[in-house]
Amino acid sequence: MKRYNLLIVDDEQRFANMLAKRLSLRDCHCDVCYNGQQAIDLVRQKNFFLILLDLHLPDIYGTEVLKQIKVISAMTPVIILTGHGTAEDRRACIQQGAYAFWHKPLVIDELIAVLARIGEMSP
Amino acid sequence: MTDRIRRAFQSIWPEFNHPDNKHLDPYFTFSDYRKIWVVGISVLVAAALVPLLVVTVIHYQLLQKSVDSELILRAERVASNARRAVTFFLEERLNALQFTVNEIDYDQLTDPEHLAEILRNLKLGFGGLTDLSVIAHTGTQAAYAGPFSLEGRDYSNQRWFIECQKRHFYVSEIFRGYRDVPHIIIAVKSFRRDGSFFILRATLDTDGLIQTLASYETGAHAEIFLINRSGIVQTSSKHHGEIFEKMSLPMPAYSLRTQVAMAEDNQVGRKEPLIVGYAYISTQIADTPFILMVIKHKAGMMQVWQQLRSNINWFVGFAILIILVVVILTCSYMVNMLYRADKSKAETMALMEQSNQLATIGQLAAGVAHEINNPLALINETAGYVKDLFVLKEQFHQDDELIGYIDDILDAVERCGTITRQLLGFARKFEVKIQKVKLNEVISDVLVFHNKEAGYRNIKVHVDVPEDMPPVETDRGKLQQILVNLVNNAFQAVDNGCILDIKASPAGADKVRICIGDNGCGMPEENLPKIFEPFFTTKEGNKGTGLGLAITYGLVKKLHGDITVISKVDEGTTFTVTLPTRIQEEISDNEGSTGR
Repeated sequence: MKRYNLLIVDDEQRFANMLAKRLSLRDCHCDVCYNGQQAIDLVRQKNFFLILLDLHLPDIYGTEVLKQIKVISAMTPVIILTGHGTAEDRRACIQQGAYAFWHKPLVIDELIAVLARIGEMSP
Repeated sequence: MTDRIRRAFQSIWPEFNHPDNKHLDPYFTFSDYRKIWVVGISVLVAAALVPLLVVTVIHYQLLQKSVDSELILRAERVASNARRAVTFFLEERLNALQFTVNEIDYDQLTDPEHLAEILRNLKLGFGGLTDLSVIAHTGTQAAYAGPFSLEGRDYSNQRWFIECQKRHFYVSEIFRGYRDVPHIIIAVKSFRRDGSFFILRATLDTDGLIQTLASYETGAHAEIFLINRSGIVQTSSKHHGEIFEKMSLPMPAYSLRTQVAMAEDNQVGRKEPLIVGYAYISTQIADTPFILMVIKHKAGMMQVWQQLRSNINWFVGFAILIILVVVILTCSYMVNMLYRADKSKAETMALMEQSNQLATIGQLAAGVAHEINNPLALINETAGYVKDLFVLKEQFHQDDELIGYIDDILDAVERCGTITRQLLGFARKFEVKIQKVKLNEVISDVLVFHNKEAGYRNIKVHVDVPEDMPPVETDRGKLQQILVNLVNNAFQAVDNGCILDIKASPAGADKVRICIGDNGCGMPEENLPKIFEPFFTTKEGNKGTGLGLAITYGLVKKLHGDITVISKVDEGTTFTVTLPTRIQEEISDNEGSTGR
């Protein structure tokens, strides 16, 4: 059993899969999905340690997905990972309780550090 | 003085399209201001002057016509009055002779005493008779009463005798005759009881006739005289021929009525318009050889009208002058205003295009950054995964060269990421939140970030902000970012042990100036115009992205400020930021289009 259970939501399938593979090498179990509705369904079914969420999804815009995730599971930290975030997106996401707002490309060690920090905080 | 003359000249001949403004040509709304000016003046002058000139010409013609008809009417009146008088003069005397021959028979008439009695009575009754004679049908004079001794003369071959014989009455021209005194002969024919005829002839002196004519002469510019039917002057005229000379004017055509016409004096040395009235004199009982001439000199008659006309000319000339001056001044002024407004618009447009270039490059860069981020992320993760695999697999674990290659890829991706993040920041949508900011606080906040580096590199930082510096109403975050960027820039430009100067001072009533100067390496002059352009960097290797100053420029503009730079190689660089102390309106956002 891996230590962290993550959900990666991104319409760039190859990117999402590759990131999942890398994280699986670092003591993480990753669920991957490619659109907003799937993500919301998965959050209903399972508890995640952390969610990586893209903004530009084919069906529902990321901020809306974030809002619904927070309704279902307010305590799950969500990191926005986007290629095209504007300042407005950033403000909206932070307001809705996003843990962080990151631009691609991802620095994987930073993510690992964040996971460790969250792990320390939660009992 | 010459300047004033030049300005006065410019107000009537404005200078458009100065050679210094060539670069503005494409931004002008109208290309040919000289043409607009010329067309404007022509149209206005035509609109103002044509009606004036037309009215003046029409007025002239009406005046001329009414003067002419007035003159003709007057000449006609004088001519017909004078004609009546002359006709009456001759008719009266012919009738007297007629009465005499009808009343007194031949025998009594040939009695010299009786004839003298009759002459006396006729002189008393009518005047102007010199003598009276009776001529028998043979042509010899039968009786004579008068001052000359002409008895026994033979008139049988004389023209008047022959004429009178034919027509019963005769009026002669004025002639000198035997006596060498101008006189007129009138004669009537009558018959004796035996059937033979005789003629009663009277000689009239011309004084009475001349006096009658003179009484109709009005003013200095009119004259009245008689001519005969061959154009010989019969009573003397001032300008048109002495007595018994040929008249200088052409013969008037025969007419029963009084006629008046315009003519021209054709004598050598004078050429003036005349009004010529004439009448062929004819009594009820006999035709006469006389033609009455009434000559009026138009120029003289028209003196009053000429005066009026010259007054009108002066007035019209003056009005034209005023109109021209007013039109030229007004047109020059208006077109000049138009030109100046257009020029300032053109200047603004030229300036806008210049500054828009920076913004356009920024927007383009942001767009590129958006599109590059996703593939970059994929490269990053793929290379990361390959590296992970290498690190995990024993086979490659020791192969530092391969790991090194992968690290190079990851480094490159990270650098690209930094660039795209900054590009996005450069064009990022942001709102300006205005609050009161104390400059010394902001500056010391900024310097906190650099304290460590300054100490470590032994860089001295002098801050000079007056105590009484009023707070500036602006966006604190943006101002901080501007200062951080400029201080960063300076730190990168100076060597260890150098000095950094930060000064703030009021610049006029509503602006503040912040100078950040260093004594570092400086920049060559040819680079200065380019340093605010995105991606321009002088930093060696991979140290700079070339976006720091471009972002700073954008931020300063967002705060309605200005940024300038002075730099000399090996002496140092000073950036000067000028900001308004108050930003009046909410600064609009022009970055929305690059949002998603």
